[in-house]
Amino acid sequence: MVAVSLDDVAVGTTVRVRDIAGGDAVAIRLLEMGVTPGVEIRLVGKAPFGDPLELELRGYRLSIRRQEAARVAIGDR
Amino acid sequence: MTPGPLTVALLGNPNVGKSTLFTALAGIPTRVGNYPGVTVEEKIGRFTHRGRAIDLVDLPGTYSLAPQSPDERVAVDVLHGRMPGVPRPDCILVVADATNLPRNMFLATQALEVGVPVVVALALADVADRKGIRIDVTELSRRLGCPVIRVAPPTGEGVAAIRDGVVEAAIGPPPQPLHLAAQESGTAARPAAAAEAIARYAAIERLLEGVVGGSDTTPLMEDRIDAILTHRLWGTLIFAGVMLAMFASIFWLAPPLMDLISAGMDRLSAFVAGVLPEGAIRSLIVDGILAGVSGTVVFVPQIALLFLFVAILEGCGYLARAAYLMDRLLVGVGLSGKSFIPLLSSFACAIPGIMAARTIENRRDRLLTILVAPLMSCSARLPVYLLLCGAFVPDRAAGLPWLPLKAAVLAGLYALGVVVAAAVAWVLSRTVFHGPPQPFVMELPGWRWPRPAVVLERAREAAWSFLQNAGTLIVALSIVLWALMTYPRNEQAVDTDIAALRQSIDQRIKAADDDDPDRAEVVAQLESLDTPEGLAAARQGAAQRYSVLGRAGRLVEPLVKPLGWDWRIGCAALASFPAREVVLGTLGVIYNLGDVDPGEAEGATALERRLKAARWDGTNRPVFTLPVALSIMVFFALCAQCASTLVVIGRETGSWVWPVVTFAYMTALAWLGAFAIYRIGLALGW
Repeated sequence: MVAVSLDDVAVGTTVRVRDIAGGDAVAIRLLEMGVTPGVEIRLVGKAPFGDPLELELRGYRLSIRRQEAARVAIGDR
Repeated sequence: MTPGPLTVALLGNPNVGKSTLFTALAGIPTRVGNYPGVTVEEKIGRFTHRGRAIDLVDLPGTYSLAPQSPDERVAVDVLHGRMPGVPRPDCILVVADATNLPRNMFLATQALEVGVPVVVALALADVADRKGIRIDVTELSRRLGCPVIRVAPPTGEGVAAIRDGVVEAAIGPPPQPLHLAAQESGTAARPAAAAEAIARYAAIERLLEGVVGGSDTTPLMEDRIDAILTHRLWGTLIFAGVMLAMFASIFWLAPPLMDLISAGMDRLSAFVAGVLPEGAIRSLIVDGILAGVSGTVVFVPQIALLFLFVAILEGCGYLARAAYLMDRLLVGVGLSGKSFIPLLSSFACAIPGIMAARTIENRRDRLLTILVAPLMSCSARLPVYLLLCGAFVPDRAAGLPWLPLKAAVLAGLYALGVVVAAAVAWVLSRTVFHGPPQPFVMELPGWRWPRPAVVLERAREAAWSFLQNAGTLIVALSIVLWALMTYPRNEQAVDTDIAALRQSIDQRIKAADDDDPDRAEVVAQLESLDTPEGLAAARQGAAQRYSVLGRAGRLVEPLVKPLGWDWRIGCAALASFPAREVVLGTLGVIYNLGDVDPGEAEGATALERRLKAARWDGTNRPVFTLPVALSIMVFFALCAQCASTLVVIGRETGSWVWPVVTFAYMTALAWLGAFAIYRIGLALGW
């Protein structure tokens, strides 16, 4: 199955962001942190209970919860 | 006429070394407090350069000038000169992390659109060099249309250039505002702020094309450290070790310092008591003012130690990892990973714990953490637990042969606080604090060595702000409580009381069987009334019973009777409002022992014997039974009998609503818990 959102990609994979759903505070905060359409993101790891996620993008590390990651639609590299 | 001071606003993302630069430029801040109406910290420092005084306003760390959080709103208001008490800045000093330029340019380019001269400080330039990141500073400055200066405060690089830069920019002509992405209009699907963010990042990519070169991937070393420290197993084990070390140091390193402070204050009190004549003034100074000062200063070691730890963890980038590791555990009850350290520290003392909640940016999470932090069993509850467990919990195993019942009860009391805190947080997050989901979007900053100057400044600042903001109120409250416990004075009533006491003990001895185990204690009690010390102690107890607080204790008797308490316990509970551990000393006074020190073996055993011998007025029924002892311990596990904590909650939340709410809900829970355990104990025939 091909992953469609950032919350179900495997650790170590690099994906390209396609879009962010919605225009609420969560979406705006993600965009402000550089999670914008077209950017490449690597899933570095997951916390002990599988949540939140550790990401790498634009040369820095970011942590978001799965709930937020589900809002990030991804495409192929 | 000399020109007035220039105002320079210091703006930057969190964790970019803003505080390091602040300290390097202005040293110790001249003004620390809260902005009016919000709980966002205001910090202003002053330095002089080229004959001009410069007020450096440290803005809260923020990622964007599209205001979403109270922190960001404060930053925007200050930049536009809309913050009362802070003049419109003459210059914005933007601190940008050189190791992470693309994301840092987001805020920097927004600042350039404000219309105030901007100077960009490229912080962590030395770290960027080591990582092999090359930045063409001249070209970046040309493209942004503002000075860009490399800084590395530990080596002193760039600090003088920043001073020159901000003064020149501030007195220079107003700049042409940059328009990178400010005019983006929104659509129904994408509001303006979202469209602006996308357009801005696209513009930043073009802006930095050819300016940033070299490797921008994190070196392998950092990757490896991160992989271990956020590993499911190793990361969790290391985390447990770090937290244990932090907790142990507050729990064990602070007490010797606290004892030193207490001993010093005791000597001062004794000196003052020796100099002043006996009377109301002496009592006010010794038992009111000095007791309050002592009760404030004694918290300083714990606060300073905790903030030292927090600053080290924050400085090296571990604080965010700790929140990352613990988030899942806490999110289930409506808190977040960032609540972990404040809650853990609250087991030592709720005051530093509540202050450590400052590291939680999200207002809702922060408030919720502050509200439940006092439920963690702090070290002040331990003496109460130990005395009552020791005296009234039987010496036998609790089901398992290796588990003494006393230890099981003690562990249960600690667990009770945690479980109740989780339940309260869960309920509050779904009712009072119900709202749209709070985004958990947190940067995991790069690993680096903490700067000693910043770490020390953090600890100093926390201790000082506590003394300055909470200290005065705690002393004032201490004076009020002293008055309530001392007045009115009625020597005649005390005489009557002593006579009645003598009579009742006499009767009890006559009625008691020879094999009554408490007979010896009762006889000793009667004999002590004939010694000057014993009589003085009894008079002290009687005087306290006639004070406002003592009478209130009698008034609340119907309220505490369902808990199995007599009016004396109710009185002691009321009088322990300044601090829970006071309840033991108060019980000593109320039971005519005078000022015993329950912290010492002699005082503790004397108090134990006296409590065991206590009977309900006019009967031969013991007051302190196992259900009553449990009821008292559960009450003290859950109650908010700590004036200093309530004062700190008021200061940290900027509102007197929250301490009142905390006191009300905790007292209600304490009563219900004590009632339940007492009834269960009676029903099961404990």
